[in-house]
Amino acid sequence: MRSGARIVMEALVREGVDTIFGYPGGVVLPLYDEMLNWPQVKHILVRHEQGAAHMADGYARVTNGVGVCLATSGPGATNLVTGIANAMMDSIPLVAITGNVNSWAIGKDAFQETDIQGITIPITKHNYLVTNVDDLPGVLAEAFYLANTGRKGPVLVDIPKDVFIAKTDAPFPTVVARRGYTIPGAPPKSQIDEVIKLIAESERPVIIAGQGILASGSSDLLKELAEKAHIPVINSLLGLGNFPRTHELSLGMMGMHGEAAATMAVQEADLVMGVGIRFDDRLTGDTKTFAPKAKIVHFDLDPSEVGKTVSPIAWVVGDLKLALESLVPQVEPKRHDAWVSQVKNWQARYPLHVPEGKFLSRTVLRALNEHTQGTAIVATDVGQHQMWTAQFYKIQQPYNWISSGGLGTMGFGFPAAMGAKCARPDDEVWAVVGDGGFQMTLQELQTAVEYGINVKICLLNNGYLGMVRQWQELFYDNRYSHVAMGSPDYGKLADAYGVRFFRCSRTEDLEETLKEAREHKGPVLCEFVVEMEENVYPMVPAGTNNSNVIMDPELPKQTAGANK
Amino acid sequence: MSQHHTITALVQNEAGTINRLVSMFRRRGISLASFNAGDCEQDGYSRLTMVVDGDETLLHQTVRQLEKLIDVVEVEDLSQEHSLSRELALIRVDCEESQRTPVYNLVNEFYAKTPRSTPQSLFVEFAGATPEVERLLTALEPYSIGEIVRTGVVAMGTESNL
Ligand SMILES: Cc1ncc(C[n+]2csc(CCOP(=O)(O)OP(=O)(O)O)c2C)c(N)n1
Ligand SMILES: [Mg+2]
Repeated sequence: MRSGARIVMEALVREGVDTIFGYPGGVVLPLYDEMLNWPQVKHILVRHEQGAAHMADGYARVTNGVGVCLATSGPGATNLVTGIANAMMDSIPLVAITGNVNSWAIGKDAFQETDIQGITIPITKHNYLVTNVDDLPGVLAEAFYLANTGRKGPVLVDIPKDVFIAKTDAPFPTVVARRGYTIPGAPPKSQIDEVIKLIAESERPVIIAGQGILASGSSDLLKELAEKAHIPVINSLLGLGNFPRTHELSLGMMGMHGEAAATMAVQEADLVMGVGIRFDDRLTGDTKTFAPKAKIVHFDLDPSEVGKTVSPIAWVVGDLKLALESLVPQVEPKRHDAWVSQVKNWQARYPLHVPEGKFLSRTVLRALNEHTQGTAIVATDVGQHQMWTAQFYKIQQPYNWISSGGLGTMGFGFPAAMGAKCARPDDEVWAVVGDGGFQMTLQELQTAVEYGINVKICLLNNGYLGMVRQWQELFYDNRYSHVAMGSPDYGKLADAYGVRFFRCSRTEDLEETLKEAREHKGPVLCEFVVEMEENVYPMVPAGTNNSNVIMDPELPKQTAGANK
Repeated sequence: MSQHHTITALVQNEAGTINRLVSMFRRRGISLASFNAGDCEQDGYSRLTMVVDGDETLLHQTVRQLEKLIDVVEVEDLSQEHSLSRELALIRVDCEESQRTPVYNLVNEFYAKTPRSTPQSLFVEFAGATPEVERLLTALEPYSIGEIVRTGVVAMGTESNL
């Protein structure tokens, strides 16, 4: 017989989890006590449970495995909610374990009781309230299985205090199978054949490659397909990294703040292959005017995504890797030289632009990219800096890009970077954050220092909630309402936490700052005091036609001619 | 074109199962005309009958989203021709005993039942397809209906499983 608490630790070890992120409290005391017997599972004590969820999320993204976070009942559990919702929107495999009050006290408004199962129903792939310790091994095995198979996502397991203490002999199941839950397999051959035909017929094809490529481990197949059939590859925000950004067929991100050439290519294409994307509104703009000349093909393992926002004429529903494994050898080798050179032309005419003579966020990110050659793991927060990082940081490898896409969670970037560093301690990890978002979760600096989590923070301080300010400038007639934001003296703050600090406000100091920050062994906070009112371009205003890309007004004249 | 669609689902009974299903409908703005759950031929499982209002696209999304829920084992979209669908109605008709003859006539015509009566009211029980229920209710209207309780639809396919 062993206790529920011991079963939780056994489950972690069985699943190969080496690090968990958590915060203790009354009802999880039995588990925290048991934890002392399991040195092979490292527990990172965070400073706010939201940080634990984001760290587990970052850990999952860079390993393509499951991240685990842990919280006590009531406020501990509710503090996880933002992080769980974030993981749900981005289909990130997370197992969140929460304690709850004793099972006999549930429903009686006991101290720190909260209905976390009810609260998280819409933001989890599945969740459990375990009231019998005999069920615990099966539930935990199933939780990991569900989180990391099919369309991945967060699973929450709520465990009452008495269930941690109760004992059982119940074994872990040798296989996890759940009636009615099937992991999508290979798509039907007819669907693949249809796509082969469409590719053969197309003259102006593009691939929009998303996170599905990463989740299914198909980056190499994507590259093969693109090269063999000579198709330009565009990324969704979350797909970045699935195709090398310096590849000649890479067009970068498309959509609201995507690169003009990428967005234009989709509007002109005759075949748009959405591969592991969900045609989200930030990508499509107004769906009625999206890709007007194209036949749309949708590859997705989740049948509910097909036809949800756009109407494809063909689809491939099933495991993406199996789909590509079948498709790639059968596709006829092709060249689309005229089309590719047209797209390259657009790239040359509407490049991403960094005006010289000013110290801009873009200046910093361009330099960061040059210094690291796009090989560092980069986690962003949410706002203007996120879009600029997506544009200027040329991510080279899969699983090196971490950004909150679906939920757009400010406060995500720094803890997510920490989770990534815990998972891959030998890799260089940067958190690119704004002054707004950083102030939401910066208390984790103490966690980074205590555990020696060596992340480099690139804080782009523009003194504004920049993205909101930009919308107020452009769409609310320059009426700035509550977007100017003060910051503490970050030098003193870093000192207080014992974090190495650099402040840089001139292009001349940029090289030295980045060099020293990278060389320092330990967490570093680099504050870049940048131009306050810088806008993200290109831009397609929310919900409008992607054909009307607003170009950077500062683009030099000879290139900006076609500013519609 | 917006219309009623009847969907059945076999679900595994767990803490929160019904909550999870209803939450999906609410969150995705799918309006439920009726929702029914009950034990079925398999231990530990329930079979649900749901009627949703909307067009084909919405129906398709509803089925796909239901299938995605982990506790849902299978979902069936029941077209009109190949299904059997019934609901039960209890109707309290508040009319004096002396004036009940026409009510009894209707009860006989519809093969309804009158399981109880009091000096003030006659209680009518009727099970039938929804249009039949509607027809009986309209017919009873002149006799002062005090209260109506309807179960909503339960349905099953008659061919699809063979
Ligand atoms: C938790 C949360 N609250 C509010 C928002 C809305 N929002 C999106 S971007 C943004 C501004 C972010 O400012 P900052 O972190 O300074 O980044 P910047 O845009 O200046 O680069 C806000 C408030 C959000 N995404 N998340
Ligand atoms: Mg800012």
